[in-house]
Amino acid sequence: MNIWDRLARLDRRWIYLLVALAVIFPLIVPTTFKIHITPEARQLYDAVEALPDSSVVMLTFDYYPSTLAETEPMSIAALHHLFRKDCRVVTVTTIPLGGPSIAERVTRAVAAEHGKVYGVDYVNLGFKYGYVAVLKGMGSSIEAIYPTDNSSVPLSELPMMRSIRNYGDISFIYIVSDNAIVDYWISIVNAEYATPIGIGVTAVSAPKYYAFISSGQVTGLLGGMKGAAEYERLVSKEAMAFKGMAMQSLVHLLIIALVIAGNIGFFAGRRAKKRTAA
Amino acid sequence: MRRVAPVIIAFLSGFVMVISFCFSPDKTVLGRIEPKLLSWVTIVGGFTLLLGVVSITRVNWQGVRRKKEGWGYKLLTLVSVYIMAIPAMLPSSWSPLFGDAEGSIYDWLFTYIDSPMMGTMFAMLAFYIASAAYRAFRARNPEATLLLTAAVLVMLWRIPMGEAFLRLFGENVPGFINTYLMGGVNAAVQRGIVIGAALGAASMSLRIMLGIERTYMGKG
Amino acid sequence: MSGIEILQIWVAAFFTLAIFSFLYKDNPLFKFGEHVFAGLSAGYYIGLVWKSIILQQLWYPILAGEWLLVFPAMLGLLMFARLIPKISWVSRVSLAFVMGNTAGVFLISQLNGMILPQMQATMLPLVSPDGFGATLMALIIVVGVISTLIYFYFSKEHTGALGVTAKVGIWFIMVAFGAHFGYTVMARVSLLIGRVYFLYHDWLGSFYQIL
Repeated sequence: MNIWDRLARLDRRWIYLLVALAVIFPLIVPTTFKIHITPEARQLYDAVEALPDSSVVMLTFDYYPSTLAETEPMSIAALHHLFRKDCRVVTVTTIPLGGPSIAERVTRAVAAEHGKVYGVDYVNLGFKYGYVAVLKGMGSSIEAIYPTDNSSVPLSELPMMRSIRNYGDISFIYIVSDNAIVDYWISIVNAEYATPIGIGVTAVSAPKYYAFISSGQVTGLLGGMKGAAEYERLVSKEAMAFKGMAMQSLVHLLIIALVIAGNIGFFAGRRAKKRTAA
Repeated sequence: MRRVAPVIIAFLSGFVMVISFCFSPDKTVLGRIEPKLLSWVTIVGGFTLLLGVVSITRVNWQGVRRKKEGWGYKLLTLVSVYIMAIPAMLPSSWSPLFGDAEGSIYDWLFTYIDSPMMGTMFAMLAFYIASAAYRAFRARNPEATLLLTAAVLVMLWRIPMGEAFLRLFGENVPGFINTYLMGGVNAAVQRGIVIGAALGAASMSLRIMLGIERTYMGKG
Repeated sequence: MSGIEILQIWVAAFFTLAIFSFLYKDNPLFKFGEHVFAGLSAGYYIGLVWKSIILQQLWYPILAGEWLLVFPAMLGLLMFARLIPKISWVSRVSLAFVMGNTAGVFLISQLNGMILPQMQATMLPLVSPDGFGATLMALIIVVGVISTLIYFYFSKEHTGALGVTAKVGIWFIMVAFGAHFGYTVMARVSLLIGRVYFLYHDWLGSFYQIL
């Protein structure tokens, strides 16, 4: 077995070890980098910044706990931005596994920092099954779909919700999601009710939504942890996403090196085999 | 009758949604029916979440009863289901440990056991993708080379170090990648895929409403 | 940090490391975590349905006088007939109601919200008055969308003009998929960063509290 075969057969656990070291090293030797803001992130920030103070914004927690590292920083930065502008926030989730718990925990924590009062400045509507019916139904009546909030308090007893009947009373929808629910927000809500939508999505989904940015159906896009870091930078609340960029950088460089090394090994091994055969 | 009645219900249920698009919710009877119908859908559909739970209970209980291989783990699964569910269903007025509010057993188990494990399962994919990058991503032909080149450019562009490196070749290079690669070529392909998928979804919806597509009904 | 907070972090760290142990090889610790995860996730659904549907959408409104809600409650219960083979056909009524409703919404939303706006955004002037950049972008978008759609049209053999366009489509698709792969790598790495961040800052940090 020549060296190229040995390299090709390298136990994958050595690669796992390299990845682990690449993630841990920047934690031991902390480094921060200058982050350039993409036009899409700037567009989302400007859209929210342009909202009149005290506007009603719907913030969605459409993500599973598995993608918290990418999406939770987006939600937190969004809440800081909205509460700083004194926007009234209605949170909703279409994710059954964990959505209501995450929305409750994150919103209350950030609201407490800004001295916001539940029922007056923000409301958590929670989860209802059947995202198509939920998205469509809120266009006519939010109360028909959510007779109570997540804590079973009737909407009529929440001061903020007395003046919010449907999407017509909502100025902006800020979606943070890790799945294709964004497509339905765009095709059902934005298309029919013309409510402007801004999105923060995981990096897996982000490439798809460039098509909707250029069609004008979406106002702004945050893609993955980098997008979250950009928004944290814009609202001056640098946190986990911003600090995570160092680790992200090192692992990306490692993976690029692995791709190059794998290809060098492949072509060199192929050439060696041809020489042996000749 | 067993197959005809559901087809008629599917048609009527869908037809109301299609024509209500054209009618104001405030001024017409049909428009006022629409939100009621949608709230009923959320209720009926919600019971499907429990179907999976009943199935998981049945399968695991059978495994425990017959002492199949790994029955201990099946028992663990069953115990976990009901340790989570029963306190959640009890009134929080009885104890702060009941219900689903912060501090309850339900919330604690989710936040400190379920959620970390879910995150970790997906975090392992980083290791697998690195291993795959080394073992499987080969520039065997021009198309694969193009794919890998685009991937490397995007991986560099999305990290601050990489962006700084790309700026060495020109201050506008990252901007070109964003505008022409992501907002141009990528957006065009994604748009083509979105249009194709939307056409497929629309035609499938029509087939379901007209009763041509009945696979959702199952056998019999 | 209180004793309870430290316990919470240690429990979360234990289960995190149990799942990570699979990277070395399959082992009883991983199996333990895996089965607890499956059970807790199913239990979460029960609690969610109990609160958000049975209590909030049925029990409280029916007690307040909305008797019509008995109908969707019955339709929901009919879903469980699916588990009994002899009467499983009964569940078709509930399924048809939900599927028909969803299909009706999809039919309009896909046409109105996806196909038409995306096609409209593709209809760009190929010689733009806004300069070379805009013209290049318009060409990329128009050629890219059309060649991608033609590549995925498999009802006719890709020969002649269709074949050439499909070949152009493949080149566009390879670049887009490469970009998608780059973003996917970023996504997966971010999730790992989240867990390692927790282990380093919260779990290892709790050691200082204990010591």
